[in-house]
Amino acid sequence: MLGFSNQTIADLLYWVTRKKWLIAAFAISIFLFYIPSPETLSPEGHRTLIIVVIALILIIGEVIPLPAVAILILILEVVFGIDTPNGVATSFMSDAVFFIMGSLMMAVAIVSQGLDKRLALGIIKLTGNKTWRIVFGFVAISSILSSFIGEHTVAAMMLPVALTLIRNTSDDQKAVHRLSTILLFSIAYGCAMGSIGTPSGGGRNVIMIGYISEFGLGNISYLEWIKYAYPMLLLEIPIAVALLWMTFKPEQRILDSAVRKLKVKVTKAGEMTGNQMMAIGIFILVFLGWVFLSPYLGLGIVALIGVFLYLSFGLIEWQDINRNTNWGVILLFGAAISLGIQMKETGAAEWVATQSINGMSMVIDDLGFMQWFISVFLTGILTNFLSNAATVAVLGPVVLDMGGNPIILGISTSIASAFAYLTIVASPTCMIIHSSGLVKSSDYLKAGWKLFVISIILLFLISNLYWPYLS
Amino acid sequence: MKFLIAIGSKEYSGPTLELGMRVAKAFNAAVDIVYVGDKISAFSTSEVILAQENLENWELDRQGVDVLQWAFEYLVENKYIHSESDGGEFNTDKLVQTDDDRCEVHLEGRMTQEVGLILRNGDIIQQLRDEVKRSNIDVTIIGASKKRRMIHDLIQYIDSSIFVVKNYDRDRDYKLLLAVNDAPNTKKALKYGVRVAEAFELDVNAITISDSKEFRSDYRNASKWADKFLRRAGVDHSVNLVHGKFISLMNETAGDDHIIVMGNSTKSPLTKFFTGSKPLTVCEECNCPALIVK
Repeated sequence: MLGFSNQTIADLLYWVTRKKWLIAAFAISIFLFYIPSPETLSPEGHRTLIIVVIALILIIGEVIPLPAVAILILILEVVFGIDTPNGVATSFMSDAVFFIMGSLMMAVAIVSQGLDKRLALGIIKLTGNKTWRIVFGFVAISSILSSFIGEHTVAAMMLPVALTLIRNTSDDQKAVHRLSTILLFSIAYGCAMGSIGTPSGGGRNVIMIGYISEFGLGNISYLEWIKYAYPMLLLEIPIAVALLWMTFKPEQRILDSAVRKLKVKVTKAGEMTGNQMMAIGIFILVFLGWVFLSPYLGLGIVALIGVFLYLSFGLIEWQDINRNTNWGVILLFGAAISLGIQMKETGAAEWVATQSINGMSMVIDDLGFMQWFISVFLTGILTNFLSNAATVAVLGPVVLDMGGNPIILGISTSIASAFAYLTIVASPTCMIIHSSGLVKSSDYLKAGWKLFVISIILLFLISNLYWPYLS
Repeated sequence: MKFLIAIGSKEYSGPTLELGMRVAKAFNAAVDIVYVGDKISAFSTSEVILAQENLENWELDRQGVDVLQWAFEYLVENKYIHSESDGGEFNTDKLVQTDDDRCEVHLEGRMTQEVGLILRNGDIIQQLRDEVKRSNIDVTIIGASKKRRMIHDLIQYIDSSIFVVKNYDRDRDYKLLLAVNDAPNTKKALKYGVRVAEAFELDVNAITISDSKEFRSDYRNASKWADKFLRRAGVDHSVNLVHGKFISLMNETAGDDHIIVMGNSTKSPLTKFFTGSKPLTVCEECNCPALIVK
């Protein structure tokens, strides 16, 4: 056919079948480009929304590398005449991007210190050998730790603890399937729930704080965020434990021998080393910096100070940081934040907000509830298919343009982006426990949908009954 | 020659590994055994690698290593490899990371040439394609999948012969069913078929199926050539010219006690994409192992 060999045609067909979402993204964007802009939307806003559609399709489909999506967003912002090259460059780099970069680098530094063995010993001392107490300990410790140091750091440290317990209980995976599932989900859901607790729990919290400040809607300090979000975190811990226990009743109610073997294993690690103490000390300094200095220096710069200290004291090599830091994700979040800012500046965010409210007004009368529902529900759904930080980066400006109390809507959106309980790809913690090979994709839905619904109800109650007293 | 055996789990991949190694032995081929783990989302790649590296500090293996260990034990038990230097134990330290999503260990073969154990992560078709290209694989051996698209993608996009191991039982007496026609791949299929038949001491049934009652001269000649080839190879065989629907006759003849060997279709990939092909339908519908020779 046309002088092509069968192999060439087969390769071409293969490319087309694998890149169908890329082809669809461009076809849809060309179609959208040539339809007239709605009257209430500026041409720049129209073109910004086209970029949003392309980016969402490419990110969800994962058909091209994430850095390529990031680069495409930046190119299109300039080519479509939405902003000047310097304007795009300025919106690309912000304190939120510094924070994401710093926290990913600190994760590598903290995980490599071997502190997980101390953590394991601490948990076991607290919980004893009863399975329900261990599950409670896993959820509580994962939540509280990840509220300060980021969810994937905690998940990476907790995973070996859980796997050691599972493998010491039985070599037969089928005999311990429910035990494996409940322990691993205790980590994943605990980390996700914890990430809402403080701004440093997740990059998306910092992105939202950045938007609220940049759009002149207010300033939220580290401690103020804790006042809003921590009660929800604490309430969710027993709920999640009960839900997990009811969904995956483990085969073993006592893990006597497994706990004993774990103790023997971690005791071999010996006394705490100087480097470990220094690593903890630096993190405490960073935490204090976030609490007291972030209004002046920014959360991102404080995180970078932490990285500087870890590197300067020789606690981590640059090669290790370079190898284990997801630079593609950093680029993508920078580009997504830039896109969010362009959505605000071109009026695209306001247009989407107005259209959403008009559309929903046929179903819901109460404007305040509608604004809250759209922001929380849409974020909750999107975060299960997209990264939670990317979700907030794209939806943040829309939510903040809906009217109502921007602080309540902004924090609600950020918290809802942590409801990543339903799919494997929802968050790095879900992916980390899946990489153990011990949980099935159907397990995510089994407990996830219940926690998702209860979390939305809890957020509704807290944002309506408790937050108004804080403002 | 080089064979690639794709395994997925201890529970289901036993027949694939056993039949694959026996066939590889018949060809005196080098063998790579590959386990392809789940695809890791691009958002989480570094985080998952960080978690997996941390597992090594606890002397815990990442997903898939246990399956390679099981394959190693099978190879030792059946004397396919020399393992004296490692005391018969699978040493995970020898797994070398060659790419972000690939690590391997090479073992010295006894009854075959070198045997490689490979761990990969990602989309299975993409990973097998990469492995076939990287190592110049001649035959890819894989267990049957319930997904129709999977068999289609294997036959369409993997640039090697494909052996789909379906419903294989080592205690069953098998025969070899050779589909013969005038297609260019038939001669190669015959050669492969003879090697398999000799190694397994199987009787060969060479069948030529025509849609119409009148057999074209090309079909008759192909059948005669097959008869001559099998006779010269000294293989017990029968040659049959039958008319009827290809798929139903193949299905009926093969039952569950044949190993099917046939050449790949020479239709254009575009045509195969939209209308399918005989080898694809055979792999889907027949209830026995099938080798599609390219």
